[in-house]
Amino acid sequence: MARKYSGPLQTLPGGRFSLSLEVQDRASLVALIVQLREILLTTSTADNMRRLFPAAYHQDPEHDAEYQRLMRDELLASRLQSMNTASEMLQRDPTSKSIELTAAELEEFMRSINNLRLVIGTMLDIQESDDLYDDDESQEDDPSGVHRQLYHYLGWLLEWVVTAQSAAL
Amino acid sequence: MVSDTDVQPVDVRDPSVADDTDIDRPWIVLVWNDPINLMSYVTLVLQKLFGYSLEKATALMLDVHHKGRAVVSNGTRERAELDVYRLHEHGLWATMQKEDAS
Repeated sequence: MARKYSGPLQTLPGGRFSLSLEVQDRASLVALIVQLREILLTTSTADNMRRLFPAAYHQDPEHDAEYQRLMRDELLASRLQSMNTASEMLQRDPTSKSIELTAAELEEFMRSINNLRLVIGTMLDIQESDDLYDDDESQEDDPSGVHRQLYHYLGWLLEWVVTAQSAAL
Repeated sequence: MVSDTDVQPVDVRDPSVADDTDIDRPWIVLVWNDPINLMSYVTLVLQKLFGYSLEKATALMLDVHHKGRAVVSNGTRERAELDVYRLHEHGLWATMQKEDAS
């Protein structure tokens, strides 16, 4: 009898978690995180990054400019910190089938995956009506096909992280 | 009895404070619908940041999804700025405004 797939994340005693991802998947995630990190360090004002730095005072440009002057660098530093943590965590125990991580590391990992989804989703101009789980075979000629697959994969992974975190609340 | 020469207490209004109704108006923090964030993720973030129950966080998330936005917290301007910052850290599309601003 086939066992039900319980996802890539397992809860361990003591509030820790075990993440099981193929070595190749881990390397791909690290490459994506490093790439986003480089973009944030050089061109964080690029249009594709807009979802990472939204307005706080949407009705008041003057107050928002002041808010961004005070908080934008702090938000950037927070994003870079979470991506550093996620990248280091993914490169831990490279020969092991799974990585053990703390609840704080899982939180940083979750935020990093969501950062990637926000940027890729913005690049793809994802809309509410898009069927996120449609068959990509029909889009073989679509140059954005790789990005769509990445977007779907990150969504799948994020859903499991959310499930694990929700169960631990 | 009170004589004419007695000093009587009077109400004094400080125009710089009492006439500025903006000061007493609380700020609200809104989360807006966006097509990228997962519904389950939004619910979890609201639970984690504000300590809301699963039921309350889910109801707010559904308001965001169906009505386009929901008020997730309110308070002083400083409190609202902190909440907006924490929501932005988690990738949610959050803004703040005075309570009765349209």
